[in-house]
Order: sequence, then structure tokens, then C-alpha cells
Amino acid sequence: MDRRSFIKLTAVTGTGAALASCGNPENDFIRFIPDEMIVPGVAVWKPGVCSLCPAGCGLTVRVMDADADVVRDGQAGIVRIAAAKKLEGAPDHPVNHGGLCARGQAAIQVTYHPDRITQPLRRTGERGDGLYEAVSWDDALAEIVSRLDALEGAGNQGSLTYLTRVGRSHRAALVRDFLVRFGAPPPVAFEIFGDDVLRRANALSFGREQLPTFDLANAMYVLSFGADFLGTWNSPVAQNVAYGRMRQGRRGVRGAFAQVESRMSQTGASADEWVPVRPGTDGVLALGIAHLLMSTGAYPSDAAGRAGALIEGWAAGLPGYAPEDVERMTGLEAARVEGLARQFSDARPAVAIVGGAPLAHSNGLFTALAVNALNALVGAPGRDGGIFFTPQLDVAAAVQSGSPAQPAVALESLVTEGLAGGASPEVVFVDGANPVFTAPPAWRVREWLEQVPYIVSFGHFLDETSILADLILPDHSSLESWAEALPESGAVMAVASIAPPVMRPLHQTRATPDVLLEVGRMLGTPLALPWETFDELLGASLAGLPSASGSGALADARQAGVWSGELPAGLAVADSADTSPASVPVAFTAPEFDGDADEYPFHFLPYSSNAFLDGSLAHLPWLQEMPDPLTSAMWSSWVEINPVTAERLGISAGDVVEVTSAHGTVRTRVVVSPGIAPDLVAMPAGQGHRTFTRYASGRGENPVELLAPMTDAATGALAWAATRVRVTRVGPPDGRLILFAGSLREHGEEHR
Amino acid sequence: MPQWGMAVDLDRCTGCGGCVVACHAENNISTVGDEQAAVGRAKHWLRIERYWEGDFPDVRLKFRPVMCQQCDNAPCEPVCPTYASHHTDDGLNAQVYNRCIGTRYCANACPYNARFFDFFNPSWDKPLQLQLNPDVSLREVGVMEKCTFCVQRIRAAGTQAKAEERDVADGEIQPACVQSCGARALVFGDLENPSSEVSRLSRSPRGSKLLEDTGAQPSVTYLSRLTQV
Amino acid sequence: MTHPTGQQITRDLVRPLLLTTWRFYVMIALFGAFVVAGLVAWLSQVYFGFGLSGINWPVFWGFYITNFVFWIGISHAGTLISAILRLVNAGWRRPVTRCAEAITTFALLIGAMFPLIHIGRPWLAFWLIPYPSERLIWPNFRSPLVWDFFAINTYLTGSLLFLLLPMIPDFAVVRDSTTGIRQKIYRVLALGWRGTPKQWHRLESAMQIMAIAIIPVAVSVHTIVSFDFSMAPVPMWQTTIFGPYFVAGAIFSGIAGLIIAMAVLRRLLHLEDYLRPLHFENLGKLMLVMALLWGYFVFNERLVTYYGNGPHEMAVFWRTQRLSFAPLYWTMVVCNFVLPLILLGIRRFRTITGCVIASFGVVIGMWLERYLIIVPSLGAKYLPYSHGTYTPELVEVTITVATFAAMCLLYMLFAKVVPIISIWELKAGEHPSPALIPPATEKHQLGDLHL
Repeated sequence: MDRRSFIKLTAVTGTGAALASCGNPENDFIRFIPDEMIVPGVAVWKPGVCSLCPAGCGLTVRVMDADADVVRDGQAGIVRIAAAKKLEGAPDHPVNHGGLCARGQAAIQVTYHPDRITQPLRRTGERGDGLYEAVSWDDALAEIVSRLDALEGAGNQGSLTYLTRVGRSHRAALVRDFLVRFGAPPPVAFEIFGDDVLRRANALSFGREQLPTFDLANAMYVLSFGADFLGTWNSPVAQNVAYGRMRQGRRGVRGAFAQVESRMSQTGASADEWVPVRPGTDGVLALGIAHLLMSTGAYPSDAAGRAGALIEGWAAGLPGYAPEDVERMTGLEAARVEGLARQFSDARPAVAIVGGAPLAHSNGLFTALAVNALNALVGAPGRDGGIFFTPQLDVAAAVQSGSPAQPAVALESLVTEGLAGGASPEVVFVDGANPVFTAPPAWRVREWLEQVPYIVSFGHFLDETSILADLILPDHSSLESWAEALPESGAVMAVASIAPPVMRPLHQTRATPDVLLEVGRMLGTPLALPWETFDELLGASLAGLPSASGSGALADARQAGVWSGELPAGLAVADSADTSPASVPVAFTAPEFDGDADEYPFHFLPYSSNAFLDGSLAHLPWLQEMPDPLTSAMWSSWVEINPVTAERLGISAGDVVEVTSAHGTVRTRVVVSPGIAPDLVAMPAGQGHRTFTRYASGRGENPVELLAPMTDAATGALAWAATRVRVTRVGPPDGRLILFAGSLREHGEEHR
Repeated sequence: MPQWGMAVDLDRCTGCGGCVVACHAENNISTVGDEQAAVGRAKHWLRIERYWEGDFPDVRLKFRPVMCQQCDNAPCEPVCPTYASHHTDDGLNAQVYNRCIGTRYCANACPYNARFFDFFNPSWDKPLQLQLNPDVSLREVGVMEKCTFCVQRIRAAGTQAKAEERDVADGEIQPACVQSCGARALVFGDLENPSSEVSRLSRSPRGSKLLEDTGAQPSVTYLSRLTQV
Repeated sequence: MTHPTGQQITRDLVRPLLLTTWRFYVMIALFGAFVVAGLVAWLSQVYFGFGLSGINWPVFWGFYITNFVFWIGISHAGTLISAILRLVNAGWRRPVTRCAEAITTFALLIGAMFPLIHIGRPWLAFWLIPYPSERLIWPNFRSPLVWDFFAINTYLTGSLLFLLLPMIPDFAVVRDSTTGIRQKIYRVLALGWRGTPKQWHRLESAMQIMAIAIIPVAVSVHTIVSFDFSMAPVPMWQTTIFGPYFVAGAIFSGIAGLIIAMAVLRRLLHLEDYLRPLHFENLGKLMLVMALLWGYFVFNERLVTYYGNGPHEMAVFWRTQRLSFAPLYWTMVVCNFVLPLILLGIRRFRTITGCVIASFGVVIGMWLERYLIIVPSLGAKYLPYSHGTYTPELVEVTITVATFAAMCLLYMLFAKVVPIISIWELKAGEHPSPALIPPATEKHQLGDLHL
């Protein structure tokens, strides 16, 4: 620096110092780069479909360049790829209308997960050791084909079992077709917090064996029985969108909402009125309300039609459900029952929702039918502000596969039969399901799988089930392959969420539908599936659908990520043929619980975690670190206990306790929560994985381990809320319950 | 010059947490892991506060999303010795990560505890880093970070509008949290424009500011949750 | 009691510089080891990340800022006390001033390190300095931290001058009593001091100016330190009383530090003839006054908060008064108020031992006071969801201990190279205007309290 520039600099800085001492000078000093010179990266937006739950929300995926370490053709190197950067709700999607839940936001971490299985693996160690060797796709496919050929040679095609998740999609249709053509039974889907009871009830009440769609946006009063419809149940984003409109979307009109449950859920937190009732008596309350509505004469009993006829005593106006009777059975004061009935009848349109824990009792079907009858009584089905059934595309009809639909077998009966020495599968395909983790240990799913000679997993990760596999054929992530879903609910029109791959695969994975198609071609007796690749199937399926642009439904879907509209006749799933009223109308039966009330004084409520659902998302670090909405817990699991109960048991917040049922014990930490009944303890599902990536393994506890193999008497569905437990304090806080929040209450807690 | 602001309708918010994860995804906020989270180092630029009221069975729970309130009279700004925390012309409390020396004074001065500190160099287990948003700078150890109202989106929309020789339309800019919210509890926009949705909501009789008595003049208006009588 | 004569004074006071026992080396090694441990702790914090500390959301300030305020407070021992006593011409101050001024300087040096230890990116700390940068970026002059930077630097400069000026004649004394390399060093340090009347006059004028100038600086420096807190809208921080409260507390802890230092020197350097019970008693009375003043400030602050009954303030108030911080709070009250009042208020206990015990209490109590100002407020700031707690980690404890060791180390080394008691000031007779500084006698006892 020469003298001249030094002097200049001194002068300039001197002026700067003078300026700096007055006014708001920092803008001039800090932002030396003018706004117009800041060029954000160039992003491309592509449609996608969220595949983490069956809701089938549409995505808009932001894609930008990134440098990735990849292995291509055995060569490792850094390659510039078009990488997905962010998932957002697709603005015009008929289900999620631009919204996206926390889980959907985190779905991108599945693709980039450090512990993803990057190529086909063959087991080398004992089952469960997690020792695998890399194999080529050719060898892996040849191995499967030889196994399946052997089954065929022995005429034993029926012993191929396919375990999968619940959810309607073309992929599920392909799997079904594959199995039918091979001669195997249809896929076995199991979900701990499944909705089979409600589907069955809807089939009986309304002739539609599917989950309903609620027109909350136009409702004036919503009465929800235990359904966590704003959190995890059914189509949460669609329901959130509608809820927002119900509350503040109409000028001068605000819909009201009451939630019936005995542990405040995230949904219950938003309710205007929170109504705790005894576990398993929600149906009684629904009928109590129906009784009052009918007794006013405003609602004649025959308005409920078939749904009402299913309930014993309906035609007579439900004489056994007077408010006093309801109070006796549910524990809810008669006056409040009357209040709820008044609101339900005055605020029109009103709609009732049922789902979750109320249906997970031995009388679950009764409860569902009771709420259905209440809805039918006020005319909710098919009316604005009521309930709808989203028309369903019949894929089998659309692609003219012609395979006959066979009833699916329940996992429990399959396992029981296998362990009892009956028919046991020779080959099991595991696709997205993790029953070893999600099924009650009393079912002994692991034991059953261990005796299966050959297990193939299509999973992205080693979890409790896939670690038993002999061969792992990792699937693409949903961003790397055709992603699609046929939402069962969430929209009034039929919807097919379909989007082409967003990015090239990061790893040596293959899309499972294409693998199945290829295996089908390679078999000794080829299956003659009429499609070369999965997108051909999609094209065939959508070919018959009307196109808004005229260039074909699939082309529309490629553009928008979704097809939605009127289904042509013949392509819609028909109403359930079962129109005959139940021969014997159902009546309330007291719920049965596993465990003696003296020895196990508390009802036990496992619930679907806001972050992890049943545990299938516990491997995503964003969700692990997201504070739980009610407890603010991160990276933890816990048991919720009422403060009065906790005090009686000498337990304070954070203490380590043992929760024991007749079927197991878990040691976990206590969250003292005012929003839970004194005779109830609740635990979120999702944690407690033994094997599930670095983020979830060995973390927390799985409430499913406590569950008794209780079932709903009428449907055989698992009654996961019917277990009793006891709670014993083991020790002081051990630091493994991690809370984000400092305080439970806003005012004066320090001084209480 | 627009003045960016937000309205949070607590009558719509269901506490689902979508905004929380959206914020992580958009802004390259690293997860800190269980051990660090246990000692209070988790970084949630946007958090959903929940408060219990009453006791069983007459118990209520309130949700309240809290992010940087982008105060007009921000207490964090004057205390920063290096101007890392400063006010922009369009009403944002900017945080210049490269200028931050980590006195953490701004975090103390912030009444909302909306500021977070990088206690270690953030890291991503490969290949999670492929998700990182190139529009948002990564923060190194020792700097404060906080909600920016997704300033990268504001600037991008501004550039785009300028190139097309027009003004930024109302609703054109959506921070990640606003974008993700299904119930539409969050609304973002220009408070200077009286016809924008956010101005309209900010004038609502249900509206109030958080900790108004600290005099920080936040740009976020909370619309109270109603109760059915 | 006899007073040492001029010759004996020189001999006694220069002796510690010339005679070094093995004990000295052991102590140096001991304190040095702690200082090295502290250095290692700090370097590992820089290397591995600030997360090694116990700082968290929302308690972003902890031990380091506590230590910062504490050491700046201790620094008020010297300069302020010695300047005031100089100005009021209290003869009994003469053996005390240098001890005190040395404490000031070292405590300031240590205190000033803490902002560096505390910040997240210490390698960029120079951005606090208003240097002419080519990018025209200045520090934010509105930030109390920048005020701190100026205040502390001014105070440090002043204190150094205040310490060094009266050392010049003593360096000359040492120069004249030593030989060889030592003599050469002290010759340089003595800056050609010959003891001419002109030199005495100049020294005297300089000291007078410094004494006057340093008092407002000292008051301002701790007021500005208090601004670090009172300028932020944090419950129980934003209060107008913090300025005088901090200054009073600083002087309070400073006197306590000085009493401890004097007692240690007296014992180790055998200065019983120079640092006599009278000095301790006088300082003890000063400390008693400060204890009452401190009690008044605390009572005032608490009472006003209690009556104000602001919900956010009360959250912090009850935290310290009754809840998690109550044990520390009441320990502080005992250490800072009850203990000094008993030991210094009752004449019988106001011995050297009594004063020293009370001083230890005050040092502990004042450290706790700063901790209790910082941590409970930050942990209970407004929105209860964001409340939190703080537990110090190993690095913070190590560094804290190391700074106490550093103080001892610096002090020992200082006493090894500089006569810790001002020789010329003691030798009233050699002073050109002895009338200005009368000899220390019983008459100069502070007040005549018979409690």
C-alpha cells in the first residue's frame, strides 16, 4: 500500500467511523453486495408422491445440482447429480392442497439416509446377526427364481407369503397380480394401528369397505371419538386443511369441535371441549347422543336407515341409553351428555368421527357401528359437512388383469397356524412391513419367521424383520422411482397420485415392482404379466381415465403428479355387495381387558407417535429431533401418567419406571401429564427398535411389547387398547428423557 | 420498501409440527443428536410451544408456534458488537453469520429465546449432506443462528419480480413453515401493503403481539384461539 | 511498638527480591500447573468446539461471564482504594497501596481474558477493535460490549500507569541495593531516577493527576460492566440500580481480595512490621461499610421487584429466593452480609484472622452474586417453554480455578521482582515534603467505632 492510498483509506475510514457513531449505518457497512447480485441457485420443481403413509399426499420436489459420492458400474467417484433438496406439498393436489406434515417433510431423509442398503445382500451369518455379503443383481434374481421354481416344481406355490403394508396403490395391485398368477395367496398386510374395524363397520353401515373422508371445511360441529385426525390418523394433511377452513375459513362462522378420549391427543388439544370417558365406552356415548336426538323427535329413527338397523334397540329410540345410563357406563355426567347432544343437533351440519383407540377394544365394531349410526341419523353421509367415500379406481378392472380377488389372510392366523404345526410358508417376501417390531410379541412373529426356509426383503434398511432375511433386494426410494398411491380418503373425487422418478438412483438399488416383473419373466413358467415395466402398468391403468388436457391421464399425472376426476363406469370399485342387514343387531358389551384389575390397575394406551407413526419412521433424524407436540420430547420414549396418580405412586417427572403387563415389561421414563385419566397410562409407539439404523437402534422402548393378543370379537382385529398394566418406580431420572421445553405451563408454575 | 411480517392464527394451528421439520429442511439446520439435545443444544428456529391449562378432566392445551419475531425495535440488534445482527430495510432482523463472533449477547437480549448457537461444527452423516439447500449458508461453530423468514426465498422472489419488472405479489413468497402448514395457520407477506392478507389478519381484533410489553415491536401477530361457549 | 527505620525498611522490603527459597519454586510450580491446565482447557474448547462448556439454550452466559464480572470487580480493590486514600492523604494507606494496585492490574488482565474465552469465535475477537478496515466495517458503538472494550482498556492503561509511576523510586532503591545483571535491569526500570526535588515534584504531580483521573474511570468501568446486563430486556437485569450496585459490589469484593492478599504477603514475606493489625482493622471497617451498602442495594433491588410483581420478574425472583437457586442465594447473603457484619461489626472479632475469614466469605459471596445475577435470569426469561437450566462443565471449572491460580502466580512473581510495599512512601523522611505524608500511627485509625 503506498502512501497515497493509505491516506485515502485513513480519510475514508475516519469518515466511516464518524458516520458509524450516529444513525443506523450498518446497512451501508454490512451489505456491500447489492441485492441484484445475489443469485439464488437455479432450482427445478418436479412432482412427487409421499409414500410414508397411505394418505398419498402430492409433493413438489425441489431439485438442484449436488456433488454426490456414488458408485456406478463398480466405480466410485464424485458425480454431479440432480438431487432432491426439499419436499413441499403440491399446491393443487386434491388431498393435501399444498400442505405437508412433519413426516412428509422428513421423507427426503429416506433417500439420503446414511444407513440405506445400497445393493443386493445375501446373508452370511446366522439369522439376526446382520452379516451380509454383497451380491450382484443377476445372482440375486437367479437365486429367487430358483427358489420360486422349486416351489412350482413341488406344486407348492401356495407357500409363498408376501408381507406388506396397508395402502392402496398400483404397486399393491401388481403384487397381488404377481401372487395370483404364481398361485400364491394374496399379500398379507398388517398394521398395528390399522383401521380394519372401521372399514368393516363402514361396509356394514354404508356399503363401503374403506375409510371415510370428512368434509370438515363445511361442518359446524365435529364430534370425534378418539380419532387423532389432525395428527396421525387417516389422511392427516387433508384433515388439517379442512380443519383450518372449518375454524377460520368462513366469514363470521366458526365450526366447533369436541373430542372424546381419555388421553389428550394432539388432536384433542385443539378441541373446544375435551370429553374423557372410560376406555371402550365411546359407542355408548354415541348412542346416548342418538337417543337424545331421537327423543326430541327432530330425528326419526328410520333416518339412519341401514346403519341404524344394525344397532339393537335403535328403532325403539335406544331406551337403554338415557343420559343417566350413559353416565353410569361411561363415567361422563348426564348433563354433559345432554350438552353434547344439544350441540350435535343444533349446530348443523354436524359430523361424528371415530378412529383409533375406541375401535381397539373387544367391542370395537360396536363402537364404530354406533358412531356410524349417529352419523346416519343426522344425515351426514354424502352431505356437505358430512362424510364421503372417495371413489376408488379399480386397478384390476383398469388393467384388465382378470385375476380373481381372493380374501386376504390375517397375519395373526397365519402365524398361529404356522407355529401350531400347520401350513407354514416356504418363502416369505417382506415388502415395507416390519411385523417383528409392530406385532405383539405374544403373536411370536419372529419365531414364525425364523422357521421359514427362505426370506427375501425389499426394504431400504435393516430392521427387525429384514435382518432375518436371507436375501435383501433394496428398493429405490420413492424419489428415485415411480411413486404412486391411490388415496383411500382425503378427497371427494377419485384421486391417483402418480409421479415419475425425481432423480437418478443414488445406489445400486432397483424398483421392487420392476424386480417382480423381471422375476415373473425369468421363472421356469413365466407369469405372463403383460407389462415390461411398472410404468407400463401405470399407463395401462390410467389409459381409460378422462384427461383434462386431452393428452392422456398419465401425461397429466406426469405433469401434475396427480390425476383426479370422475371415474368412468366400470373402473370404480363397486359398493360392497353386502347389503343384508346384520342378522343380529349389535348391542353394547362391556369391553374386556387383559390382566386382572387388582394386579394391573391401569389401562394401557399405546398410541401412534406424531413423529414415527408405528415406528417405521424412527430412522429419520429430523423426526427424532422434532419435539413431540405435547411433551416436547426428542430422541426419547416415555410413559404418560396423570399427576394425581404419579403422586400416589411416589413418581415424579422423569423418573424411571417399569410398566408391566401380563405379557411383558418395559422400563421407561415418566412424563407427568395433566391430559390423561388417572386410571390410564399411555406410551407412544415408534421407539424401542433393536435394529433400525444408527438413529433408532437401541433407543427408547416399544409399547407393543406389552400388548396382550386381545382382539375385537367381531372382526378379529387386534384390540391394542385392551391391555392392563401396573407401573412401578425403579429410580430417579437417568437423563434419557430429553425434553425441549422448560415448563409445562405458561403462568405461575414456578410459584405453584 | 415492503415490511415483511407474519400472522399466526392460533385458531387454525393444530400443533402438528410440519413447520418445524420444514424449517430444518429449508434452512440447513443440523440435528445435534441425543446427547447434545439433552443438554439443551437442539436448534429449532421454529418451535411449537405448548402450555397446559387446568387439571384433569377440565384441562386444555394451547399451541403457539414461536419463531424469530423480526422485531422492528429488536433488542438483539443494538447489543451486537459487530453488526452481525442488524436491521434490513425491509424489516428483517438479519444475521450475518460470517460477521458473528459469538458473544451470544443477542440471544440474551432476545425476549423470545428465538436465537440458537452452534456449539460444534454442524455435521451431516453422508450422504445426508446432499439434501442441503445451496441458497442457505452453513454455519460454523461459534455463531448464532435464527429464523430469517426464509430470506433466501424473499430475495429470490424479489429478483424474479425485478427481472419481470413487477412487484412481488401477495402470497408469492412463502417461507418454508408457511408453505408446509396444512391448516394455513401461518400467513406471510408485506405489512406495508394494506390489502395483503397478512396486513388484513394483523389488524384482526383477535390479533396481539407476543410479549408486547418488552417494546420490541415484533412483526408477528398472533390471532387468538377462540373458545366455544 | 517500634517503627522500622529507613535502613531497615530497605533491607526488609528488598529482601524478598533477593532471597528465594525452595518454597517459592514449589508454589510457582503448583500455580503454574493450574494455569497450564486452564490453558489446555481453553485450547481444547477452541479446538473441539464451544460445546465442551455447559452453556446451552437459553442460558447462553455462564461461568465465563461470572468470572469476567468477578475479576473486574476484584480489580476495584486497588486503584480506587489507593487513589481515594491518596487523595484524602490517609497515612495508613502507605504499606497497602502497591499491594492493592497490583491486584487491580492483574485482576483486570485476568478479567479481560474472559470475553475472549467466552466468545464463540475467539480468533475473530479483533473485530471488537475499531481498526480502520478496508471494508469500512466498524464495531457497533451502540453495543455495551464495545463500551466494555473501551472502559476496560482505559482502566487497564490507567491502572498500569498508576502502578508503575510510584514504582520508579523503588526500582532505584533496588538498583542501588543489587549488583550484576539485576542491577542492570533495575537501572533500566528506574528510568534514571536520582531523587532530585524536581523528579519528586513531577512524580507527585503525576500521582495526584492519576489519582483524580482514575476514580471516575473505575466507577465508570464497573457501571459499564453492569450495562452489559441492564441494557438487555431480561427479567431482573433491566434495572436502574445495577450501576451503583455493581460499583459497590466491586469495591466490596476488591477490599476482600486486598485483605486476603495482604494477609498472605504478611505471612510469607514476614512483613509483620509493615502490615499491621491496624491496616487490617481499617480495611475491615471499610469492608463493613461496603457490606452494609451491598445489603442495602440487594434489599432495594429485591423489594422493588417484589412490589412491582411483574410476572416475568417474579419467575426469576422466586427461582433465586425459594426454588432451585435458593441455596446459593442464601449462601451469598450469609457470606456477603451476615458474616461480615458479625466478624467486622463486633470489635472483638475484627482481628486479622477475623478480617481474613470475612474476606474469604465476601469473595465467595460476590462470586455467587454475579452467578446469581446471570444464570437464574437467563434460565427463566419470559416464555416458560424456553426456560432452562445450566450446569458448568469441566472446562469451565478448570478455567475458573486456573484464573485464581493465575492471580496467585502473577502476584508471587510480582512480589519477587518489585518491592510489594512502596519503600519510598514508607520512608517518610526521605520524601522531599514529609509533611504531606505523616508517619502511620495509631491516630490514623479509621473512625473510633466501639461496637
